Amino acid sequence: MSVTSFSTAGSVDDALAALAGGARPVAGGTDLVVGARSGKSTLPASIVAIHRVAELHGVTVSVGGLRLGALASHEAICENEEIQAHYSALADACAIVGSHATRAQGTVGGNLMNASPAMETGGPLICLGATVTLRSADGERTIDVADLFTGPGGTVAEPGELLISVDVPAPADRSGSAYLRLEYRRQMEIAVVGASALVTLDDDGTVTAARIAMTALAPTIRRVPEAETALVGSEGGPAAIETAGAAVAAAASPISDVRGSADYRRAMAAVIAGRAIERAISRARA
Amino acid sequence: MTAVEEPRATQFVRPDGKEKVTGAGRYTADLNLTGQLVAKFRYADHTHARILRIDTTKARALPGVLAVLTHEDVPDVRYGGMVKDRRLFAKEMVRFEGDIVAGVAATTGEIAEQAAALIEVDYEPLPAITDYEAAEGDDSALVHPDWESYEADDALLRQGNRLGYSTIVKGDVDAAMAAADVVVKSRFVTDPVQGVPIEPRAVIAQWQGDKVTVWTSTQVPYAARGGIAHTLQIPESQVRVVVPLLGGGFGAKCDFHFEGHVAALAKAAGRPVKLVFSRREEFFAVGHRREGIVIELETGARADGTLLARRGRLVLDKGAYCGEGGFFAQMAAMHALGPYKIETANIESSLNYSTNQPSSSIRAPTAPQVCWALEQHMDELAEALGIDPVDLRRRTLVEEGSVTATGQVLERIAMKETLEKAVALIDYGRELPEDEAIGVACGWWPCFTANSGAYVKLNGDGSGTIITGAQENGTGAVMAMPKYVAEELGMRPEDFSLLYQDTDAAPSDMGSCGSQTTFNSGRAVIAAAVDLRDQLLDVASDKLEVAREDLELVGGSVRVKGSPEKLVTIADLAGSGTFHGKGAGEIPDSPEAPAEGCVGRVGLESFHAPQLIAHAVRVRVDRATGVVRVLQVAAAHDCGRILNRIGADGQVYGGVVMGIGQALSEGTQLDEEGRHRNAHLTDYKLVTASDAPQIDVAWIETDTPNAGPKGSKGVGEPPCVPTAGAIANAVAKVIGARVRALPMTPERVWDAAS
Repeated sequence: MSVTSFSTAGSVDDALAALAGGARPVAGGTDLVVGARSGKSTLPASIVAIHRVAELHGVTVSVGGLRLGALASHEAICENEEIQAHYSALADACAIVGSHATRAQGTVGGNLMNASPAMETGGPLICLGATVTLRSADGERTIDVADLFTGPGGTVAEPGELLISVDVPAPADRSGSAYLRLEYRRQMEIAVVGASALVTLDDDGTVTAARIAMTALAPTIRRVPEAETALVGSEGGPAAIETAGAAVAAAASPISDVRGSADYRRAMAAVIAGRAIERAISRARA
Repeated sequence: MTAVEEPRATQFVRPDGKEKVTGAGRYTADLNLTGQLVAKFRYADHTHARILRIDTTKARALPGVLAVLTHEDVPDVRYGGMVKDRRLFAKEMVRFEGDIVAGVAATTGEIAEQAAALIEVDYEPLPAITDYEAAEGDDSALVHPDWESYEADDALLRQGNRLGYSTIVKGDVDAAMAAADVVVKSRFVTDPVQGVPIEPRAVIAQWQGDKVTVWTSTQVPYAARGGIAHTLQIPESQVRVVVPLLGGGFGAKCDFHFEGHVAALAKAAGRPVKLVFSRREEFFAVGHRREGIVIELETGARADGTLLARRGRLVLDKGAYCGEGGFFAQMAAMHALGPYKIETANIESSLNYSTNQPSSSIRAPTAPQVCWALEQHMDELAEALGIDPVDLRRRTLVEEGSVTATGQVLERIAMKETLEKAVALIDYGRELPEDEAIGVACGWWPCFTANSGAYVKLNGDGSGTIITGAQENGTGAVMAMPKYVAEELGMRPEDFSLLYQDTDAAPSDMGSCGSQTTFNSGRAVIAAAVDLRDQLLDVASDKLEVAREDLELVGGSVRVKGSPEKLVTIADLAGSGTFHGKGAGEIPDSPEAPAEGCVGRVGLESFHAPQLIAHAVRVRVDRATGVVRVLQVAAAHDCGRILNRIGADGQVYGGVVMGIGQALSEGTQLDEEGRHRNAHLTDYKLVTASDAPQIDVAWIETDTPNAGPKGSKGVGEPPCVPTAGAIANAVAKVIGARVRALPMTPERVWDAAS
């Protein structure tokens, strides 16, 4: 199928009207266009370009938290020093999406709504307790990123809904977060195994809260409560980290494909999760 | 012409650099002709099947379709460099995923694609023959049941699915092995690897009367012209092949492949036709890959390291068609010996058909794989002997006067010097962190001699034009030719334009393959420049009334030696007459190699002016994940005299990085039917610029007998040869185990380590 209609929205309302008419949004195009050119998917018949909609741009850090416009690029996110300091896992993730070109062009909104189980930003945003605002011609709603994904490529968004922004609450004091993935090469990678961790320590260095999520190890990115339980109440030492890593491996349902066998992925789940947790703890201590 | 600077000896900016870097350059896919149609192929729907019926009625009826061709619409001829086993369009059988059943030309790509899908093809599917090792068994089904009727090179010793067979035999291996203090046996297997030039193949054909012009992204324009003429049964004089800028080849664009299909479509449609491959088509296309190889080695040594005996058994996957790659069996056998002194040997090498993608001459065909295996095997031997791997190589590498297993006496040869230089550059033996190690590997590669011819003409203003049949594939070998000509004529490189990559312009040329552009085409260009110089000297001698031998060409003038004020400028001479030099140069004699008892001899039993290579590589291994990072590569090469240092260094940088990809991440995965599972750049993992290590290059410049122009040898392919082997040896040192499959992916390293 070829594209029969292409329009450029000047405002969110323009975009929503186009979506109500069956159009699909395009911003960076790093998934839509690449997918079509590689034969993975066909281009939709009707496309609305949203890259000029001012309301969808912007990265705002305030005392209460972080607001990302849907069109915030990976580059803009990972270069932001406030995000690097307080939302480190998200900065980690955005810094390693694709290549320099992908990061400059690709957006957080697109990354989330493409809903790949291997996406980089999903795990960090879930751990950080982020919400997304979805708006359609009929109204607006806010949902947790943790509840956004239904399966590979699937989200709870209705066809007419557009992701407007991502809100991330500021982590508690003495928190640290990290995202890590297994990398075969240093650029142009896609997660074979990824893990996100957010930990909060008390004054004694005891872990009081932990959120651990796994990437590319299940049909959707999701948290691993067993790993979190293993950490809370511990000093964040090697034994607790190993138990948490093992819990991630146990929770994983990896597949075997050209990128690796299920056995290897499961073993790497423990290694990568352990390293993400270790990094999050060391950041919390810093 | 005003005074000019002397050409700088080593630094040179290539003429095509700026247009490539700025994006101004035009590649084949950038060209468009008025009225041009788009070509698409209908590929085989099975990797191995008998074709029962082809019906193109519906495709032809689709509006916008101007031509649909099958085997019925082109001359009934087979082609192929060493075995004529292929047709433009499959006739009775399809033999691999990328076999072409039909071609379509239509007004748009979408219509052409739709038409290709509308062609009805009925098949009788046959079991895929993907196991190329089992394929040589007596009970295996045949990929080419009619193989005996094919026209082929007799030296190949074909038999059923075995399209090439070669042995290297010296002395009594059994007795020598029995007498050895230590015997080591190893088995290694390599996955197919792809060439992956970043520019996908593109072809445009346009007929004017009986003549066709084909613009194509090929490394071998004259072979392409020959292939078009043969498959369409027209004389070569009616075919002109032009290559616009070529965006890399790495051997994947060697051989005649798709120009015939497009020329036939353009003729049938009566309009120009353009074909541009998608990345996926690139991946499964004929000739885009290296062969997978099963490599079994056994070596017996004396306690002091003396190599008493080597047994080897090699089985290579040629895929469905031979092309020009029939020499791979003997080439692989030579690499199973390597540049070592071995007292007795028995190497058997089989090149087998399968229903996998056909392999081709990807940068140093067979050598990186076999060298990777042999150099690991040598390290295993060193361990068994309790000798340091570098010391074992010091004791066993060839040197001046060594006689190879085929009986070739090696004259001036700096093999050992390259080893010493590489280990010195990397400071072998120094303290390293526990997750790091240094591995070393050595290899060799021959020069190839071939005919070539060139013209150099002077324009009226004293500038000049070089006309060569050589093909520039990105290495800069052709781009450096103005430098050599300028040196002969006392002019500047920028005084010369280049007319190349046009088969109507220059004499026939082997093309960009075998690291031999400078060796052969460079030789011809220099000979043409010398011829032109003689013409200039003759005329200047008359004009200045000075004997020829008292004249010299310097700074854009012919002047009297010792009286530099007495001169005539080349610009003045050029305006006064017609000056055009031509030359071919003399092909150096190849050294003799009796190779008694060896069979399947296709000429590689003697390595002409061999290039010698030693690489030392430092790696870091993440034991928990198996991820290997190459941190440093020291590359020392004896490639004779280096004529263009910046270009030669560039070949090492690129070849080393390509070798790292082969070693660690690049591998095609096939399903049970031999179809690609990762025919795209997301999961076929090329190494990126970010992965490139520190690379230190050293050239050991020897005066090699039988060398090319100015004492040069080849430089393009050798850097690929020992890189994977050196990395493998370094990895084994860190993890304490051998990785016996290539590429050595993180999972394979992790598997071996745990």
